[in-house]
Amino acid sequence: MNQYPMTVSFTLNGEKRTFATAPGENLLDLLRRSGLRGTKFGCGQGTCGACTVLLDGRAVNACLLFVGQVEGREVCTIESVGSFDKSSEIQQELIDGSAVQCGYCIPGIVMSATALMKAETKYDDEIVREYMDGNICRCTGYEKIWGALRRVLDRREASLAKVEGSGSKS
Amino acid sequence: MKLCEFIRPTSLSEARDKLRELGPQGMALAGGTALHFLQDQTTRRAVDITRLGLSFIRKEGDFYVVGATTPLADIQRYRAPDWTLHEVCRRIATHQVRNISTIGGNICRVFPWADLPVVLLALDARMVVFSDKEEEIVSDEFFDGQPTQRFADGSLLTAVKVPLLRAHQGFGVVKVSRNSAAFSLVTMAVSLELDGEVIKTVRVAAGGAVPFPRRLPTVEAALVGREAKSEVFREAATKADSDVSWRGRESLSPDYVRQLAEVSLHDALERAVSFARARNA
Repeated sequence: MNQYPMTVSFTLNGEKRTFATAPGENLLDLLRRSGLRGTKFGCGQGTCGACTVLLDGRAVNACLLFVGQVEGREVCTIESVGSFDKSSEIQQELIDGSAVQCGYCIPGIVMSATALMKAETKYDDEIVREYMDGNICRCTGYEKIWGALRRVLDRREASLAKVEGSGSKS
Repeated sequence: MKLCEFIRPTSLSEARDKLRELGPQGMALAGGTALHFLQDQTTRRAVDITRLGLSFIRKEGDFYVVGATTPLADIQRYRAPDWTLHEVCRRIATHQVRNISTIGGNICRVFPWADLPVVLLALDARMVVFSDKEEEIVSDEFFDGQPTQRFADGSLLTAVKVPLLRAHQGFGVVKVSRNSAAFSLVTMAVSLELDGEVIKTVRVAAGGAVPFPRRLPTVEAALVGREAKSEVFREAATKADSDVSWRGRESLSPDYVRQLAEVSLHDALERAVSFARARNA
């Protein structure tokens, strides 16, 4: 019996891809068996956020999506954000701020922060808490993660305000 | 829950026909978040209804109409002066889940901890169900038992109509949970109308620590015609015992949950009255 009797096509990290799959397979399993192992399995029920990816720019739990639900849509994983050789600003700040202990939750945290930075231009604590409320870290107590996020978001907000200010002068 | 087929209909009538043809094997799928942790090992065929134009929020006459597959995140972000659903949606699950879960999924199969049935009962919402024709069902009827039974014949929920709050009307909801992502321990929702400082009409609903979300008629009767003040709310909240049996949850005793429910109900009433007064100011 064919283990993967159907196909699904979607844009994965900017590239159009087609995968053989099964109706009951979830996106997390498909990503990981396809070699994208940065997205982690944590709880398998949408509580911990270790499997966070972006679906059409929004943070979602890959463990809670049947693959059929992403047909024709755009999925971005942690691999599209940065790598060991070329880390993104948020990843570097997490490293520099010693905010990573075991590291298992970090890909999910980076993806939620990426969704926040893509969608919003103001980063008050309330909106940051809202975007990050689905990511659990069991090592750090969040203080250093929060600090690293705040530094990146404060810089970004200042830079966006500067661009806005310079635009209004012209 | 196991899926053996994933079907993408292109119209509402095609979805209905497919569900009718499949019978008990078929299942309408929107966000589907709850299916991944259900212990039920039945094999089902999923009919995806998320691409049928049912994701929207619009004002129509005396109602806000919310499409059945509108994600909770969209409802949470929507803003209007008399919009009431954002606050409770912000308190449901996590950011990631709110981006997937839909209003329809939250109310078509009601889990005891579901928050939106409580809110929709208090607001006297109408559910629009499509079968051979479109039918509007009032919340008292829709939530009088598990709504899944209503959809066994292939009928589909297409929208939820939330009445606009008129002058002198207010709404309040209080949800208590262990942490931001946890299921509700107690959810209390109130909508009311003031005549000066007197409560003219009121609808009160409870969820979380009860077997199934429901209205609290004895509490409502204890409020109508009374002055809208804290002592009255506190006294009325003690009557909730006549309408529901509180259940112990997450190592909390039933008596503790009862006290939690009474305090939450009091606070929901305070919020509803503040809401009504602010609109009249």
